[in-house]
Amino acid sequence: MSETHRSVHGVPTHPTIGWDQGAAQPRDSGHGWSLFRSPGEGSGAESGSRQALCLWLPTFELRLELVRTPELDSTSVALLSPGESTRRTVWQVSERAHDAGVRPGQLVSQAVSLCPSLTLLEPDPAHYDAATDTLLEVLSELTPVVEPAGRGRVFLGMDGLGRLYGSPTRQAERALRSLFRVLPSPLVAAIRAGMAPGKFGAWVAAASARSGVPVIVTEKELASFLASCPVSALPVDPLAVQRLERLGIATLGELRRFPEPALVAQFGEEGRSALAWATGRRIDPVRPWHRPRPIRVSLDFPTPVGTVATLHGALNRLVERAISRPARRGRSVTAVRLGAYLEGGSSWFVEAVLREPTADREKIASPLRGKMAIVPPPRAVETLIVEFIRFGAPSTQADLFDRREESSRAASGRDLARGEVPGALKDAVKELKLRLGHSPLYRVVEVDPWSRIPERRHALLSFDP
Amino acid sequence: MSDAPHLRPLGRPKPVDVRTDAEGEPTHVRLPGKTARRVEAVREHWRIDDEWWREPISREYRSIVLDDGRPVTLYHDLLDGRWYAQKGE
Repeated sequence: MSETHRSVHGVPTHPTIGWDQGAAQPRDSGHGWSLFRSPGEGSGAESGSRQALCLWLPTFELRLELVRTPELDSTSVALLSPGESTRRTVWQVSERAHDAGVRPGQLVSQAVSLCPSLTLLEPDPAHYDAATDTLLEVLSELTPVVEPAGRGRVFLGMDGLGRLYGSPTRQAERALRSLFRVLPSPLVAAIRAGMAPGKFGAWVAAASARSGVPVIVTEKELASFLASCPVSALPVDPLAVQRLERLGIATLGELRRFPEPALVAQFGEEGRSALAWATGRRIDPVRPWHRPRPIRVSLDFPTPVGTVATLHGALNRLVERAISRPARRGRSVTAVRLGAYLEGGSSWFVEAVLREPTADREKIASPLRGKMAIVPPPRAVETLIVEFIRFGAPSTQADLFDRREESSRAASGRDLARGEVPGALKDAVKELKLRLGHSPLYRVVEVDPWSRIPERRHALLSFDP
Repeated sequence: MSDAPHLRPLGRPKPVDVRTDAEGEPTHVRLPGKTARRVEAVREHWRIDDEWWREPISREYRSIVLDDGRPVTLYHDLLDGRWYAQKGE
C-alpha cells in the first residue's frame, strides 16, 4: 500500500508524481514554516522525535465546508479569505473552479468573471479550529509528540513506535486509520502521508504522496529522494526561492552542486540552511506542542447584534469576566482572541498580541476594539467570545495597587462596571452560593440602549465575581 | 457554547386583558394578578414597525395612566392581536 523508497542502485527511481508546485508550498503555510526554524543545525535531534510522519490534507478548510454542504461537492466553489473586510479575495478553490481558471489570491470580481456559476463561501474559522483540535486530540493517542503546522497539516513524532505499531508503513497506516473516528472517509482518503527523518523530509514526502498511499523515506534514501524536489519546497524566504529559480536552480539536486561558501555569500544564513536541507544533513525533530489552556468566556445575545457600541460594551464585560476567572489569577495576559458566531451560521475572529503582559481591562480590550474596527464582523453577532490564549509572568503591578484592600466604605463606592467588586459584596455572593448552590444576583447591563424595541435595551447578566 | 447563562432579557412584555371602545382605544386594563382598572388618560400614542427582514414586529404603543394614578405602557400587537404591558419606556 505504501511506497517505500529503496536505494537508487538498480531499482526503480523515485516517481515524480505529486510534485504539484502549488501543493508544495500551501498558501497558509506561514505559521507552519516557522516550525522549521529550529535553533541550531546539525543532523542530531536535540530534543523531540527525529522520525517524523507528516499528515497533510490540502485545502483542509474548503473540504470541511464541502462536508457540511455536500450538494456543492461537484460544483464550482471558492472559499473566501478570512480577515478581509474589503476587496475580498479567493482563498481555496474546488477542482471545477480551478478548471474554470479560478485561482487562490484572485479578487472575487475576477473569479466570478472567469466562472459566473461560482459559489462563494464565507470562512468559518471557529469550525476549522474545532476540527483541528479534534484531529490533534485523536493523533495524540497515537504518540505524545504532535506538532501542528497550520490547519490541515500536522507532524507526528514516531521515534520508538516500531515495537508498538510495526514497520513505518504500518505506523503511517495506523495514523490514517485513527482519523476515521473523527473525519468522514472521503476526507481521510484525501490525506497525504509521508514519513522521513526530520520534518522537512516528511513534508516533502507527504507533498509527493498520492492520497491514501504513504511515502516512506529512510535515512539512507533521504538525500537522493530530495534531489528531484523543487527548490520552492524549501522553507526559506520566497524571495530567496525566486532568486534561485532565476539563477536556473530548479531542484535541490541542482542546489547541492554549489559549495556552501558560495550560497552563504549570495543568500546568507538561509543559503546555508537551504543546502543543509537539500543534502538531508539538517534534521528538524518533531517537538511536542504544548498549548496553554485558554481562558474562554462568551455571551449569547437574545437577538443578533450589529451595532459597534453594543459589541464594545459586551467586549468590556467579557474581558472583566475573563480577568476575574480563578484560572487567570497570578498570570498576566500576552495574547487575546475575540471571536463571534454570526447570524447565518458562520464565525469570525481576530487576534491581538499585547504590547506588554497585563491584567488591565482597558489594555486588553483596546487592541481588540482596534482589530474589530479594521476587520469588523461581516454579519450580526449571535455570540461574542473572548479568549486569553497566551499568558506571561505574574502581574504584580495590579496587586500593588489593588484598591480592593481599601476600607469597605471606599471600596463600596467603586464603580462595579470597572470590575472592582467590593469585598463585602463578594462575601455576600459567596454565602448565597453556599446556601443556594448558585448566585441569584444579576446586574442590569445595556445591550442595545438605542433600540426602538424596549425589551432589547437592557438585560440581566448573572453576577458572580 | 457559553460558559454562563444567556443574557436574561429585561422588560419583557406581559400579556394583559384590555377592554376597548368602539374606536379601539383602551378603556379598562387588568394587569397580571390585579383587578381591572379604568384608563384615566392616554398620554402618548406611537407605532413601531421593525425587523421585517427577520421576525417582523408591528406594535401600537400607548402610554396611559390608570385611575389609581399608576402609569403603564401598553401596546397592541398588530400581528397577533393581543395587548401587552411593558416596562422600560
